[in-house]
Amino acid sequence: MKMLLTLKKLYAVGNGKKILKGVDFQMRPNEVQALLGPNASGKSTLAQVILGNPKYRIIKGGVFFEGKEITKLSPEKRVKLGIALTWQTPPAIKGVKLSQLLKKISKIKFESKKLDLKPQFLERELNLEFSGGEKKLSELLQILSLNPKLVIFDEIDSGLDIKRLKEVAKIIKKELVVRGVSILLITHSGVILRFLKPKITNVMLDGKIICKEKDYQKVLRTIKKYGYEKCKKCKLLAD
Amino acid sequence: MKNVKSANYWQIDHKIKQIYEKRGTIILPSSEAWGKFKWVKKYFPNKPKEGYFIWVKKQVDFPLFVCVSIGAKKIQQSLENLLIVEKNLRISLQGTCDSLKKNLCGTHKAQGKIVLKEESSLKYNHLHFWDKKDAVELNYEFILEKNSKLDYTYKNLFTPKKLKINTLLTLFEGASCDIKIVVNGIQTKAEIKDTLVLREKGTSGIVKLRLVGREKSSISAYSQILAAAQSKGHLDCRGLLVDKDSKISLTPQLICQNKNAQLTHEASIGKISEDELNYLRMRGLTQNEALKLILTGFLGVK
Repeated sequence: MKMLLTLKKLYAVGNGKKILKGVDFQMRPNEVQALLGPNASGKSTLAQVILGNPKYRIIKGGVFFEGKEITKLSPEKRVKLGIALTWQTPPAIKGVKLSQLLKKISKIKFESKKLDLKPQFLERELNLEFSGGEKKLSELLQILSLNPKLVIFDEIDSGLDIKRLKEVAKIIKKELVVRGVSILLITHSGVILRFLKPKITNVMLDGKIICKEKDYQKVLRTIKKYGYEKCKKCKLLAD
Repeated sequence: MKNVKSANYWQIDHKIKQIYEKRGTIILPSSEAWGKFKWVKKYFPNKPKEGYFIWVKKQVDFPLFVCVSIGAKKIQQSLENLLIVEKNLRISLQGTCDSLKKNLCGTHKAQGKIVLKEESSLKYNHLHFWDKKDAVELNYEFILEKNSKLDYTYKNLFTPKKLKINTLLTLFEGASCDIKIVVNGIQTKAEIKDTLVLREKGTSGIVKLRLVGREKSSISAYSQILAAAQSKGHLDCRGLLVDKDSKISLTPQLICQNKNAQLTHEASIGKISEDELNYLRMRGLTQNEALKLILTGFLGVK
C-alpha cells in the first residue's frame, strides 16, 4: 500500500537552532500513530515542518505525501492536499471571529453541536481569552471542517479534563478514524493513547525518532517507570 | 442612490443629483439654507458654494443618507455641510464619499458642522472610498449639547494620495460620545487630528483610532482629550505596520484642567504577527487571504 506520509532523513532549523536532526518516519492511510517525547525534543517542530510553517527551514531531507514530494510546498497547498494540524498553543487573532474563519476554510459543514459548542462560542474572537479546553475544541472544530486525510494532533490531551478528553477521543474516532483519516497523536503525557490505541508509538529524543513500538502500553510503562532517558538504552530502539 | 427611497442628499462632482426630503426633515443645498434661515449664518459666516444642509426637526423612522462622489477628472469639491438634530430625537446617518473611477485626480474638501441638541442622539457611519490619485481634506466639528449622544465611525478603507482629517468635538453637560476612526492606509500620506473637549460636568468620551500602514504609507495621528470639568475620557490608539516602507506616528495627549476628571489612554504600534499569518495559512488561506483577514479584524471591518 502506498505510504500516506513519509519523512526522509529530515533536518530542520528554527531561530538559528538545529531542531530536527534526521527524522525518518512513515505513515499509511487509515492508521493511528503516536509520537511521544519530553519537552523540547522537537515534536511540535516536526508537526509544524510537516505543515510547512515558514518559521522553520528544512536543511536536508524531504517530506512526501501520497508519494509526491511536498518539501517546498506552501502551507496552504499542503492543507489543500489534506494535511491538517491542531496547534498546541494557537495564537489569538483580535477582531476575527471563529465563525468568520470557519466560513472561509470549511470544505464540509461540521455541526459545532457535536462538540457541545454553543453558537455564542463561534461568535467569539479567535482564541482570545479562550480557556485551555476551549482552544482545543476550537482547533478540533476547524480541522473537522477541513475534511482532511491526515490530522496531526499536537498535545490535544493537555488542558482537557478526563471526561472531556474521553468525549474528544470519541469524536476523533467517530469523525476521523472510522472514516479512514490517518491520525498522528503528539503527546507528552500519553493519556489520550488509552482511548485511541495507536498502531505504532514513536519516541522522539533530541530531534530524532529513536523508538518505534507496536505496544503503546509498553512504551508508556517504560517512560512512567524510568523516564525518557531509559529510552536511549532501550532494546526496542529504532534504527 | 437611485433606488434608495430614504436617500436624502446625493451629489456628483458639483451637481446635486437628488434631494429626497421626508416629513420631519429639511434638506437643502447649504447655499440655499444660508439665504433662507437667518440662524444658519451662525454656522456659515459666508455663503457656501456647495454642500448640504440637513435639519432634522422631528423623529423619523428611517436612516438619513448622504452621498457625495467625484465622477469627472480633476474636480475640486469644497463642501460646507451642516446637520442639526433637534431635541430628543434619535437619528441614524449614513454618509459616503468616494471617487467613482480610477485616476480622476480629484480633490474633496469638506467642512462640516454637526449639532446635537439636548437629549438627542446620532449614530453616524461615515465611509470613504478613494483612489490613489485623489486628495481629501475633512474638517468636522461636532457640538454635543446637554445629555446628547454621538456614536461616530469614520472608515477610510481605500485611501487617497493625501488625507487630512481634523475632528473637533465639544461636549456640554452630560453629553457622551463614542468615536472610531479607521484608516487603512495604502500608498497614502495621512495626517489625522482629533480633539475631544469635555467642556462641562458629567461628560464622557471614548476615541478609538485604528490605523494600518501599507505600501509606503506615512500616517501621523495626533489625538487629544481636554477635560475642563468633572468628566471621563479615554483614548485608544493602535497602529499596525504591514511593511518596512511604511511609518505611523501616534501622539496621544491628555490635558486635565479639573481634579475630578479622569483621563486615560493606551497606544500601540505593532507589526503583523508571523504566528497569526502562519496559523491562518495552515488552515488553508493564502498569505494574502490571511493578511486580509487579520487586517479586517484589526480595523473592525465586517
